[in-house]
Order: sequence, then C-alpha cells, then structure tokens
Amino acid sequence: MNTSTNSFRSSMTRRQFLARSGAVGALGLSLPALLAACGGADDGGAASLFFENWPLYIDPTEGDTKGTVDRFMEASGVKMTYTEAYNDNNEYFAKIQPLLGAGKSVEPDIINPTFWLAGRLLALGWLEKLPLDKIPNAANLVPGMRNPTWDPTGEYSLPWQAGMAGIAYNIEVTGRELKSVEDLFDPAFKGKIGMLTEMRDTMGLIMMGLGMDPSTVTSFDDAAGAFDKLEKAKSDGQIRAFTGNDYVDDLVSGNFAACVGWSGDVLQLQKDSPHVRFVIPEEGGTLWADVMVVLKGAKNTDSIAKWMDFVYDPAEAAQLSAYVQYVSPVTGVQEELAKIDPDLATNPLMFPDEAMSARLRSWATLAEDVEAEFDAAFSKITGA
Amino acid sequence: MMRTRSKIARWALNIYAGVGMFYLFVPILFIIAFSFNKPRGNFNIVWQSFTFDNWLSPFSEKSLTAALWVSLRVGFVSTIVSTVLGSLIAIALSRHKFRGSGSINLFLVLPLTTPEIVLGSSLATLFLGQGFVNFGFVTIVIAHIMFQVSIVALTVRARIRGFDWTLEQAAQDLGASSFRTFWKVTFPLILPGILAAGLLAFALSMDDFIITFFNAGSTVTFPLQIYGAARVRIPPQINVLASMILFVSVAILLIGTVSGARRQASMSGSRHTK
Amino acid sequence: MNTALSVPTRQRVGRNADRVGLGALVIASTCLVALGAGWVSGPFRPVVVLVFVAVVVGLLVLVAIGGPQARRLLAPYGLLQPGILWLALFFLAPVWSLLRISLSTKPSRFSVDYTFSWAFENYTTAFRDFGKQFEHAFVYAAVATVLTVLIGYPLAYVIAFRGGKYKNVLLGLVVIPFFTSYLIRTIAWSTILADRGPAVAILRNVGLVRLLEALNIMNNGRLLNTPAAVIGGLTYNFLPFMLLPIYVSLEKIDTNLVNAANDLYSSSVRAFRKIVLPLSVPGVFAGTLLTFIPAAGDFVNAQLLGNPNTTMIGNSIQDQFLKQNNYPVASAMATVLMVSIASLVLIYTRLFGTEELA
Repeated sequence: MNTSTNSFRSSMTRRQFLARSGAVGALGLSLPALLAACGGADDGGAASLFFENWPLYIDPTEGDTKGTVDRFMEASGVKMTYTEAYNDNNEYFAKIQPLLGAGKSVEPDIINPTFWLAGRLLALGWLEKLPLDKIPNAANLVPGMRNPTWDPTGEYSLPWQAGMAGIAYNIEVTGRELKSVEDLFDPAFKGKIGMLTEMRDTMGLIMMGLGMDPSTVTSFDDAAGAFDKLEKAKSDGQIRAFTGNDYVDDLVSGNFAACVGWSGDVLQLQKDSPHVRFVIPEEGGTLWADVMVVLKGAKNTDSIAKWMDFVYDPAEAAQLSAYVQYVSPVTGVQEELAKIDPDLATNPLMFPDEAMSARLRSWATLAEDVEAEFDAAFSKITGA
Repeated sequence: MMRTRSKIARWALNIYAGVGMFYLFVPILFIIAFSFNKPRGNFNIVWQSFTFDNWLSPFSEKSLTAALWVSLRVGFVSTIVSTVLGSLIAIALSRHKFRGSGSINLFLVLPLTTPEIVLGSSLATLFLGQGFVNFGFVTIVIAHIMFQVSIVALTVRARIRGFDWTLEQAAQDLGASSFRTFWKVTFPLILPGILAAGLLAFALSMDDFIITFFNAGSTVTFPLQIYGAARVRIPPQINVLASMILFVSVAILLIGTVSGARRQASMSGSRHTK
Repeated sequence: MNTALSVPTRQRVGRNADRVGLGALVIASTCLVALGAGWVSGPFRPVVVLVFVAVVVGLLVLVAIGGPQARRLLAPYGLLQPGILWLALFFLAPVWSLLRISLSTKPSRFSVDYTFSWAFENYTTAFRDFGKQFEHAFVYAAVATVLTVLIGYPLAYVIAFRGGKYKNVLLGLVVIPFFTSYLIRTIAWSTILADRGPAVAILRNVGLVRLLEALNIMNNGRLLNTPAAVIGGLTYNFLPFMLLPIYVSLEKIDTNLVNAANDLYSSSVRAFRKIVLPLSVPGVFAGTLLTFIPAAGDFVNAQLLGNPNTTMIGNSIQDQFLKQNNYPVASAMATVLMVSIASLVLIYTRLFGTEELA
C-alpha cells in the first residue's frame, strides 16, 4: 500500500513538475519575443531624427500655432522624435557613459548638454563632427559664441540657447532691491536662500563675489576660499536648499527670499509675478550655453543637418526665443522677434547690453582631474 | 466604574485609530484636490482656481502618458514571470520537506533585507560588466522580477500555509490524474493566495523608483518621468493620472469585496438548500 | 512501483536523490553567479555555460527516469529551480560584482574598466567622508520606525479586533493610498508642509509653533526642509510595511484566548499585555525589518523634504554613482550600508527570536 501511494504521489509530482517546467520553459522561450515586441521603438525607414532635449525648451504646438518640431517636420519631411527626457547633465552622462565608453552608440542623434558636458564629451572622443557643410545657416551664429573654450574648432557643437545666472529674488520677501552676491549671505535672509545644484553657476557667483574670475581657473586652488564660504553658509543654515529648475515656485511663493537663478526662468514668470526680479550682481554673473552635439555613432547625418539649419534660421529661431525667452545664439533674431513680441525684443535679459555683458563671465574648461576636485568639493557641501 | 473607564478607553482607541486612518489619506486628498487646480506656473503646488480641464484632457501630457504605458507593460510582464517563479518556490517550500529548505528560506529573505539602492546599483554594475547588455525595457523587467520573486514566494507561502496537501492524495485515490488534481483541486484553492501576491507584485512594480532608476537607461517609467520632470514642472495631469489609478484600485477592491461576500452568501445558501 | 531495483537500492537512490537535487541547484546557481559576476572570462565562460546546462538537463532527466522516491525528493528542487536561479543570477551575482568593484580602482574618472586591487581605501573614504550621512540614515530610519509602530499598531489592532465584517474593507482602505506613486505622495507632503501651506497655517492658528520650534521640529517657523519633515515622510511612506505584518499576526490570535482571560476577571489592558502583545511580537518584528531597512537606504524623502544638512546615505550613494562617477567608493558605501543593516538584523533577530518573516 505504501508503494502505491508513493507511486501516485511521485508520478503526480513528476507530471506536475514537468508540466510546470514546461510551462516556464515555454514562457521563457516566448519571453524574449514578448519583450522584443514590447521593447524599444524601431528606427529606420524614412528619414528620421531623434532629438533629446531639456523639458520646456522648445515652443510647443498650441492650438493653431505650430511648434518648431511640427514646422520642421512639415518643411523638411523628416520624421522627428522629440523627447524631453534630458533632466540633468550628470544623470544623463551616467546613462550614456557605459555605452559610449564601450564603443556603442545611443539612440538619440542630437542631445543638448550644457557647455561643460559638451567639453567633457569632446575630450573623451564621444562626439561626431557636425555636418557643417550642409548647415549654411551656421554662419548666423553670433560672433561672440564662435570657437568657444569648450569647442575650440567649433566643429562639434552649435549652441541651442544661452543664458545668464544671477540673483533671482522676491522683492515682497526681501523688502529691498538686491545688488550684490553678498546679499545672498545676508543674515536677514537666513534659511530663505536657495542655490543651484549647477556647480558652475553657484560657485561662479560666489567666486566673483570674492574677486575671483571663473574664466581663468586652472586648478582647484584658484577657488579654495569660495568653497569654505559656501560650506559655512550651509552649516549655518543660511541656505535652505540646493535646487534644479524647481526654485521657481519656491521663489514665487516666498519660500525663498532670494536664490541663484537663471534669466529665462524669471523672464517667463515676470508677466504673472512682477514681484520676482532678476539681477546680474555688480561683481558679475555667469554666462552659459546649452549646445547641440551629435554623439558618436549617430547615423542620420542629413536629418541632423536639416534640423540645425532650420533652427538657425532667424525667423524660426525667433519663434523659439519668443517662447523660451533665453539668449538666442542666432543673429537677426532681435529684428524678427520685434515682429512677434516687441517687448521681448528689447528685454535686456534676452539681449544683454554692453554694461551687462561686461559683467558676465563664462567658465574656463577644466581638466578632468580639476573638474573632479571641484565636483567632489561641491558635492560634499550640497550634501548629495 | 471600570466599565465606564474601559468604555472611554475603548472609544479613545477607536478615535486614535481613526486619526491614524485619516493621516493615511491626507496626501491623497491633496492629490485629488490639486487635480482640479489650474496652476499658474509650472508647478502645481499653490492653489489657484478650480477647473475640470485637467480631467477632460488627462492624457495631454504625452511623455507622462507614454511613461505610464511603459510602466504598465513592465508591470504586466514582470508580474506574470515573478508570480510563476515565486509561486513555484512557495509550493515547493510548503508542500515538501527537503534538505536545504532552511537555507532557501533565508536566501529568499535576503533581497528584502537589502536596501533598494544597493539592489539597484549592484544590478546596474552587473549589467555594465556584461558588455552586450543595453539598459532599457528588458533590464527594467529583469530588475523588477528580481525583487518581486521573493515577495511573491513569501506572500504565497504565508497564504497557503494552512493548505491541506492530503487533498491531492484524496483526489488521486478517487482516480484523478495528477494534472487534473492540480488543476481542479490544488490550483483553485491556492489561487486566491497567488492572485493576492500577483497584485502586490504588480503594485510594487508600478511604483518602483530606486531600483528602476539605476537600470532604466533611456527608457522612462511613470515614477521616473515624475522624478525627472518634477524638477522642471509638475503638471496637474500627474494628479489626474494618480487619482485615476487610485479610483481604479478602489473599484477593484469594492468588486472583490462584493463578489467575495456574494460568493460567501451563495455558499451558505447552497448549504441551506441541501 | 515500476522500478526493478531492490528495496535497499531504491532507498539508497531515494535517500541520495535529495542530495543530488540540492547539489544540482547549488552547482547551477554557482555557474550563474560565476558567469554574472565575472569569475571566469574568455575561454572558460562557454565551459561554465555547458556545466550549467548539463546540470539543469541532468536534473530533469533524473526526474523523468528516476524511481518514484527519487522523483518525490527531487520535486521541490525542480520547483525551486527557476526562481532560485533567477535570484542567483540577478541578486547574488550583482552583489558579488558590487563587492568586487568596491575593492577596485579606476584609471580615470570616466573609464569603464576597473582593476581589482584590494583597494580598502575606498572603504576608509566611505567612512571618513560620509559618516554624517550614515548617521542621518540610521537615526531618521529608526525614529520613523518607532513612529510607524505608534501609529500602525493601534490601527492594526482596531481593524483586527474591532473590524468585524468590515475587516477586509478597512484593510483595503489602509493599502489604497499606496497605489498612488511614491513620488507623488512625497511631493504632496512637500505641498502640505510648505511655508504657506495648511500644516503651518493650522499650527500657527493653534499656537503650537513655539513649542515645535523648541522641540526642533520646526525651524524658523518652517516645517518643510527640516529633519522632522524627512522623518515624517519616511514614517508615512513606510507605514503600511509596519501595519500589515502586525495585522497579520494580530488576526491569527484566537479571540477565545482573550475571552477566556476576560472570563477569568482579567482587565482588558492586562489581557492585552499578557496575551495579545506577546503573540503580536512576530508581526512587530517583521514590520520593523520591513520598515527600517528600506527607510535607511532611501533618498527620495531627504531630497524632496530635507535640506542640505539632512542628507542620508542614500543621497550620497546616488551622487557618487551618478555625479561623481566614482563607482568604487559608491560600491563601498553600498556595501557598508548592506553589511551594517545585515548586522543590525542579526542582532535584532538574536534579541527577539526568529519567526518566518511572512
């Protein structure tokens, strides 16, 4: 009797086991197919283009007004994929580093990193030369931005937009106008100051407040005192938070009295919130640019050329500027913009005058080890 | 006197528990309320004015909706695989006594005792070490299955602990084949446990952020989209979609409860008709 | 039944079958870990793959042709195989990878190659530079865990003992809020606790601001961007992980026990203390682990609700991985976190005794 029950149990177990492992096996075999079907988009076919950009950095299609992407697709016939998944330079670099470091290519054709990351990508050899011979409108590039420090030959990048970092403040909270970097360290604003996680903008301002010049930095020692000052402000509780783009709402609502901020952000909300002001401190502000680059292995050269040519046309660039409200790198935009929005065309935050420009500095390109020192020191303070 | 005191104590406890329950819903009320907000700027943080517009166009944020779709697909695939794998483990552990079961028990618990950031980052280093791997949908699914398997196994095992395995033997004694036994006897009885575990695994997959963060590459799931975009803007559509997910879950809960009660009534009913 | 082997042989085969099954499982897992963690490279890899396939197939074959007793003993290993192998490849191998990278160095910041060099300095860096973050992580997680017990236990008790036929509905209600995204919930808290938000407004009206500032919960009239906000976020987000295990263990308690105690003139408080509380300890134990462990490694709450002085080790690990590209130090930090939590779990287990965690 024992034998028979044993055999019943074991035969059941065996069948079950085989059935189950068969099922798992079948699932396993079909899994790749299932995953492949679910997986990434298929590229190829007609001319296509994949541009991965920052959020809110292009004029969208609203109602009857077509956005830049739609206008481009109509004009050129290129099927364009535009994503706004580029949220942070370092995060994005960490995503592409393992692929590009191993010699593989990534999906996007064009990305729009901040200038210093573009410099780093170039130094690592991960950029393709731009097809400049197919981009006649590249000649419209503002002279001041030609052959920049991060791309001396100018063959690897074309700026998308430039901008300034200065002090953004809520006059209802501060009670007075702010003029100097030292205002950020005013004890009256303790716990109500915000700073950017963008190291170069935050440290740039602090360094200029102490009389240093970020455009001539060659080693970490050139900035030593600045980091100590920031560290002290942080541990004293002067700084409430280090933010990305999300300082805007804190500023409007009054959580921040003042913060290091970007010109375009403040400009965009000044219509609705006139109590938010922006100023380039008298000691100086930083000038930055986000630049379009092509990562190694990108294939759609023609579409890339068409796109860059399109956005460097002053009329198209003006449409973009009207929405984004940063500093356009395309000459002739000011005239075109006057036709669309005359107020913006004369706004000094979009078209800085001589006096303002004289106070702006761009960061020098840092060597890899120097950059590592800066980043590490900054991270220690931001506590990340 | 003691009766009154204990009555007060009773009510005090009930009220305290009620406050606790309310605490659980405070952010939810905010999320739902702000889904009707018309934000002035990019962030849906300050109440401006009431509007139905967001609910009329819940899918207008293309990248958000696309990310939600990715999350649903990831959740679907990973839940199915992990539920199968985990249930097999649970059945093995509860039906059989075998050498090494204690170690397996311990091994199953290990992923749960490892912080998500360690799980996520270590898996990323594994994928990085294997040159042929591309981060994306597949790596996300693999990562999710990894942490779901333990949870499913432990949940199913807890649910089927009281299961009487001799039922199978009884069925076989009555002439049922092994497959029929499993399908008609065992499976229906352990199905509720498996479903509960599957549901839990799906919820965890939909909401997973940290592990996905390290293994997603360029693919964007719903939580990743919120995190990434939240630094620049928080459109009210996020609140709308979150509220929708909430209402769907409530509906499923209600349906489950009602049908469970009905089944119970019909079972006791059939007993009475005998 | 079908085998022609004699009883002693069958028994020997049967007895050894479970060793064979366990052995097969272990060998197959080891192969996967070896492949995944890079123990072998180049020409050895196909060898390991072959061994793996041979073992798995061999196990299946044994099950098919072995005697009934063998099949019975091998069955659990067969069932376990897919899941355990998955975990071996995608959990054990990565952890090994992590350990190896934590002791390696990189030639330059952005290279993808590591040289293993017993680089213990990564660990000293981790301790030296990030001690504060470790401290924050453990302290905030511990406080949050205690708070979840204080809020979760009574709620679980009321549902389990006084829920009656609404038990499942109430339990469902507890879980429902957590079907919204973790991030959205935390962002919602940053709205609620904002300077001009309802929480501060209410506290101001009620006049509790002074008191809370004295207790260091509020800072300059602020509730957001404080350690209290971070702890509050952790408490909220991990509450169900405490509540559900407690509920499960409370629900298993036979109410007759409590009734019996009451019949014997015990007060309800005493009955609780002597009967319910001890029986619910496994639930509290499980809940503590399920709450403390993820909370200690969290970075979202600190990022959204905290300030630069409240960062937790999770934030630092994320930063080292993604911003500094310093995988060796990041891995060292992750390992330290894992090991310290594991030790705490072991000590905790010794003190409170193990039950299964389900």
